Amino acid sequence: MKLYSLSVHYKGTTKANLLKAAYDLSSYNFFQKSSIQEFMTFTSALIVERTTVGSRASVKEQEYLCHVYVRNDNLGAVVIADSEYPQRVCFTLLDKVLEEFSREVDSIDWPSGNPDTVNYKALDVYLAKYQNPKEADAMSKVQAELDDTKIILHKTMESLLERGEKLDDLVAKSEHLGTQSKAFYKTAKKQNSCCEIM
Amino acid sequence: MCTTSCYSTASVNIGWTRKVTDPSQALVDITSTLLLLNPDFTTAWNVRKELIQCGVLDPEKDLYLGKLALTKFPKSPETWIHRRWVLHQTLTRLSAADSSGKQNPPEAEQADVERNQQLNYHLTQMFHTELNVCSDAACSYPSNYNAWSHRIWVLQHMAKGNVEVFHDELSTMRQWVSMHVSDHSGFHYRQFLLKELIDEFSLIPAPNKNCSDQYQSRTVPRSWLLRSINVNAFRQQPGIETMNEDDWEPELARLFELFHQEMELCSDLIRSFPGHETLWSHRRHVFYLWHQWRWEHQVFYLNRNGSTVLNNIDDTTRLKPGTEDCGEWGAGTMEVDGRSFPVPSDSKRLKRGFRSSNLPSLSSECTFLSTVLERQCNPEQRHFGLAYKKWLDSVIGKVLEEN
Repeated sequence: MKLYSLSVHYKGTTKANLLKAAYDLSSYNFFQKSSIQEFMTFTSALIVERTTVGSRASVKEQEYLCHVYVRNDNLGAVVIADSEYPQRVCFTLLDKVLEEFSREVDSIDWPSGNPDTVNYKALDVYLAKYQNPKEADAMSKVQAELDDTKIILHKTMESLLERGEKLDDLVAKSEHLGTQSKAFYKTAKKQNSCCEIM
Repeated sequence: MCTTSCYSTASVNIGWTRKVTDPSQALVDITSTLLLLNPDFTTAWNVRKELIQCGVLDPEKDLYLGKLALTKFPKSPETWIHRRWVLHQTLTRLSAADSSGKQNPPEAEQADVERNQQLNYHLTQMFHTELNVCSDAACSYPSNYNAWSHRIWVLQHMAKGNVEVFHDELSTMRQWVSMHVSDHSGFHYRQFLLKELIDEFSLIPAPNKNCSDQYQSRTVPRSWLLRSINVNAFRQQPGIETMNEDDWEPELARLFELFHQEMELCSDLIRSFPGHETLWSHRRHVFYLWHQWRWEHQVFYLNRNGSTVLNNIDDTTRLKPGTEDCGEWGAGTMEVDGRSFPVPSDSKRLKRGFRSSNLPSLSSECTFLSTVLERQCNPEQRHFGLAYKKWLDSVIGKVLEEN
């Protein structure tokens, strides 16, 4: 079971603003790393944009599960995990991170901040620590029910989009993705629809 | 695309001839290129087999290529199959060299010892390399059946009957399976290890072994016989060629402890990570393995107070007629299916008793189930829990009723 990325965003009126992120891409090969990181940022921001304020959701995409919590003060966090990692522990982590972040970083800085200006260093530590959910979280917490907490489950990324919106278009116009990543996305889509040469 | 044309050119160069007429380094290089692009290209692997046989290609280098290919294609069936061929060749060659060396005159004893050490070292290296290759492949691809099957093959061929290795593997893999709770192949590996260990203590030969006489009278478990005649690949330490009776009881207690720990691990993971079918399936396998073996052997042993305790498989255990009063552990005989086997132990020497309450039983399973089901709201967990309960009732319960 694995956690791949952990990020904090501010949900603005039209788009999400990335404040800080941490990644663990050790399971990917050298050539894939930078593209994957960009896609994770893109996905996280998109999810925050499309999540209602004051709600929690889990979005399934291929073998990944993205868990998001956007608080009533518009501060949101996303953790991208695999399908084995227990959902409950993810939400405990998100709660914890947002609580600490809001204490350490002044809310004045949220709408306009970016990873270079924001001074919050704990994300990497949390991401590393929570790789082992049992060590990170006391047993009682892992097993406890999240009372009165509703978590919406989206079976695909597509279900977050508006009617008529296409993921391909969003990818094309995203500022989180470099040209190489966008090209990679196009080729990957093509390859998936063609048969392999044996 | 660049790689496609590279690939076709290389394929053409290989000539598609079945027999390698001109074994050369060039062929080694061409096949390497091809296989790194597509490791399931069987013909290329077969060409390499011929190159190994005529001495142009060093098997170690071939194994290294395979290892490299597996980093990109961790499942590739042809790579794993070819790898086993190379290992088999190497093991056969080493064992032949070893036995011919044994015919040397007594004066060459020192050289013999050195040769043995070198051989042992080489084999150990090979063994650990294989385990590492399997681990890496298992991590890269979830439920990598091919990688885990290869691991099993390696243990069967390079560590046959070596109980210590099996114990070691069980403990090493414990952390890994805890972090990969839906990796069915990983848990299946643990089931294999437990089965091998439990077979070492089987007084009744397993049905798939070729044994015409079902009830061979034996005073020691099969494994110790195996160890004394096993001069194959992975050697034990010099001097421990046979185990004596004194070692049997603690080994048995160790095995019981192992099953207890496995069930505990399973319970812990089921509680921490609700809703994973793999964990419930594993529980089924382990419990069944345990239950089967216990039922076949009807083992009696002393509890800490020294009086006879029948290890109840469940509260409604019924004994076969004639076995009710088998006497104490160490009284001299043990009944299995109506036949007597001498038990070579003295009850006073049983240093390590084992509490019956620690061992898996139908009642302990029921207790576990009720704690899981009463608190669990996760619908999938409920579903798996109820299915397990149904299995216990219909399969295990039925076995007991019929007897």
